[in-house]
Amino acid sequence: MASPVVIKKEKVDEPRPSPSADAGEGQTEAEIECRMIELMGEFPKGINDKILETDMPNVDKKVKVAILNRLLSQEKVNIFRAAVTKELFWCLKQQPTSKLKGVDSEEKIVMRIIEEAGNKGIWNRDIRTKSSLNQTTLNKILKALEGKKLIKSVSSVSAAKKKVYMLFNLQPDRSVTGGSWYSDNEFESELVDVLNQQCYRILQQKAEGAKQKPLEGPLIVRNASFLSSKEICQIISDLKIVKFNLTVEDIETILDTLVYDGKIEMSSTTDGYSDGQVKTYRTVEKILSSAGIVRIPCGVCPVIKMCGTVGAVQPKNCVYYDQWLD
Amino acid sequence: MPPFTLGHFSQVCCQLLNHYFGEIVGQVGAYLLRRGHRPLFDIPCATGLSIAEVKKALAVMIQHNLVKFEASERNNNIAEYSIIHHNVYCLLRYPKYLYMIKRIYGTSEEILLEILLNLGQASASNVIFQSANRLKEANDDSEFSDPSALHKSFLKLAQDNFIIRCPKLADNANIQKVPTLEVEEKEKFTVPHLEIGPIAKLLKENATQLGEHGDSEVIWRVNHERFDVELRNVILVNAAARRVDATAGELYHLILKLWRECSNPDSPTTNALSFNVIKDAVRKNEGSSPVLLEHFEQYLRVLYEDTSSLIIKVGDAGGGQFVLNYSTVFENLACATLDSIVLERFGSKALRLFRLTRIQKFMEQDQMQNIAMIPAKEAKMFTYKLLEHNFLQIKELKKGTSNFAPVKSFILFHVDLPQVARTALEASYKGLFNAMVRQMHDLTDNKRLLDKHARLETLLETLRGEGLPEDELAYLSDSMTAAEKSLVSRIHSMNDHLTLGQTQADDTILILESYLKFSSMT
Repeated sequence: MASPVVIKKEKVDEPRPSPSADAGEGQTEAEIECRMIELMGEFPKGINDKILETDMPNVDKKVKVAILNRLLSQEKVNIFRAAVTKELFWCLKQQPTSKLKGVDSEEKIVMRIIEEAGNKGIWNRDIRTKSSLNQTTLNKILKALEGKKLIKSVSSVSAAKKKVYMLFNLQPDRSVTGGSWYSDNEFESELVDVLNQQCYRILQQKAEGAKQKPLEGPLIVRNASFLSSKEICQIISDLKIVKFNLTVEDIETILDTLVYDGKIEMSSTTDGYSDGQVKTYRTVEKILSSAGIVRIPCGVCPVIKMCGTVGAVQPKNCVYYDQWLD
Repeated sequence: MPPFTLGHFSQVCCQLLNHYFGEIVGQVGAYLLRRGHRPLFDIPCATGLSIAEVKKALAVMIQHNLVKFEASERNNNIAEYSIIHHNVYCLLRYPKYLYMIKRIYGTSEEILLEILLNLGQASASNVIFQSANRLKEANDDSEFSDPSALHKSFLKLAQDNFIIRCPKLADNANIQKVPTLEVEEKEKFTVPHLEIGPIAKLLKENATQLGEHGDSEVIWRVNHERFDVELRNVILVNAAARRVDATAGELYHLILKLWRECSNPDSPTTNALSFNVIKDAVRKNEGSSPVLLEHFEQYLRVLYEDTSSLIIKVGDAGGGQFVLNYSTVFENLACATLDSIVLERFGSKALRLFRLTRIQKFMEQDQMQNIAMIPAKEAKMFTYKLLEHNFLQIKELKKGTSNFAPVKSFILFHVDLPQVARTALEASYKGLFNAMVRQMHDLTDNKRLLDKHARLETLLETLRGEGLPEDELAYLSDSMTAAEKSLVSRIHSMNDHLTLGQTQADDTILILESYLKFSSMT
């Protein structure tokens, strides 16, 4: 008689993997996201579609797009368009996004523009053109950000009324504050004059010292009266006239004004120690003590153009001559 | 004829002619300065003088090398007279010439030069004769000084080119109505053979005039160009002494002498001197200080490395070749003069701006105030003041082209050195003229008082010589009150002050004129 036949049923592999969930080697969405972030770390300049294709060929385009959009909204990545090929690139955002929590998107745009300006700061009108925001909205946002101590305004020395905005913890650039010679946007002319006289006196003393030994010859005397700008900077810093640190460039600007006064001359020599040229300075006498013409009143007369043989201003009754001849 | 249409230089010349030669010569001179070349018959019509006076005035001026004549272009038979401007101006410098000659040589040469300046043009024998007379009077000697010593001095002056032969009548002069004068190049400084014997004889006889003498055809005059070179050298040596020290000045003086001996005086650059030649000269010179001998190479090196271009090294042959380029060194001196004028008139900040613009050639207003480190308001004020007085000039560069909108333009400041030098030169002439006018005015105002004082002084001198007792002299001198005497002394001191001022103004004029002359040569 016949026994019943049992047929084993086995699961049959599907010919194609389903688009949802299971993909390729069984990656989940989170794993794809992690892989993308890894890739963006490997290519800090950005990844584009091609790189994603080669890396994860099995992932569906819709999945990639969804993940990337999520990353964008989470502010973890930035999207750029390449200039030449017009391709889209994604790259990791460099800065931590933690401090921007709690601000809304318009403020984020303004913050990004100000950040980009770096330590030179950016003007109110320029922010408006870049962000295309309304003037009143922009002012509200700027006040809010200032209140949150995220940005600050610095008044520029070139135009006193103009304010530039920059991030709170940045030092303003020299072109804005004017450098060491400006304090509170005022040019400190007395400080410059004091330093001017001080440098000249230092160089004079050096020359005097050099002249004390005339027997060694004029060449030695001349070379001994040179001082380099670094040495002068050192001497002035030791005198503690200024409260802030004087750099060699600052001293060189002062020494340049002395050169233009005609009191000192500069020569560039190569120093044995450092590479490149070292500027050295020494006092020089003018080749003419004073022009002969300035020793008579006519040489410095303020009304010389009106002076003549007739009229109110004449040499015969000139008051300046009267004073000079007494 | 009021000189209000004459330029400042011509006014100065007028004033000098009036002062030294009197009014008639002054008037003729002013007319010629105004009009240039004029024949004889124009002058009396314009000046209102008689023709005899005009002829005499012209003769005096020609004798003193102030006027020259040449045949007119339109009509060969008429002579036109014109003023030699430089020689008239050099009337101012005669005291300087005497001082220089005394410093370089000695008293006998100074007397020779003084006599020659007084005579204008004279033959060698005449000059020697008159100088011997003058020395005799001054020394109150009954014995005369030997004229052969004076002859030697004359030769020295001719050798160093301080005096030069005047042109004589050309060979074909007899056939022309207007004679031409010429002199050969190589004969300009050669002294002809003089006969001292007759001069000595006349001196013994206390004669006042030298009669006929052998070389009366050979006439000499003062060589103004040579004296100008000497005056310039003084300025250069002072500059060298200021820059380094007095020994460097000594060395530079020697080198200038060597350059003068080997180069053409009219060229803007001297010929090159080699190091060895200079070294030999230093060693041979008896007056060299021991410091100079010891450190000679160092001094030379310091001088040619200096930025004032007093010496320029052009090559290495013979240990080093050195030249002097007059145009660069006088440019530096002219710049120093202009700097000094700006400093005294406007202040040190203005000087800084002026030098900055001059050194950097073209600058914008903002750049100027940043580099010069002067506050903005002050910088602008000084810049525009300098612009107003023509020390700075403006160049405008337009940026962009547009037919509608106003175009932004750059305004650049620069210093046009020849122009500024010419302005300063004119101002100096004006200052000099003013000083002269003031001096003349002071003297004429107080003429009566000064004359009385002079008469009194001469009277006292003669009476003292004749042995009058002191109390009588004191009685006479009381005829002038103490106040008058103090006034007279005050007038004298004012006069000296003004003369000194004129000399100093002349220094500036020399530097600026030399700069303009040499810069136009190159």
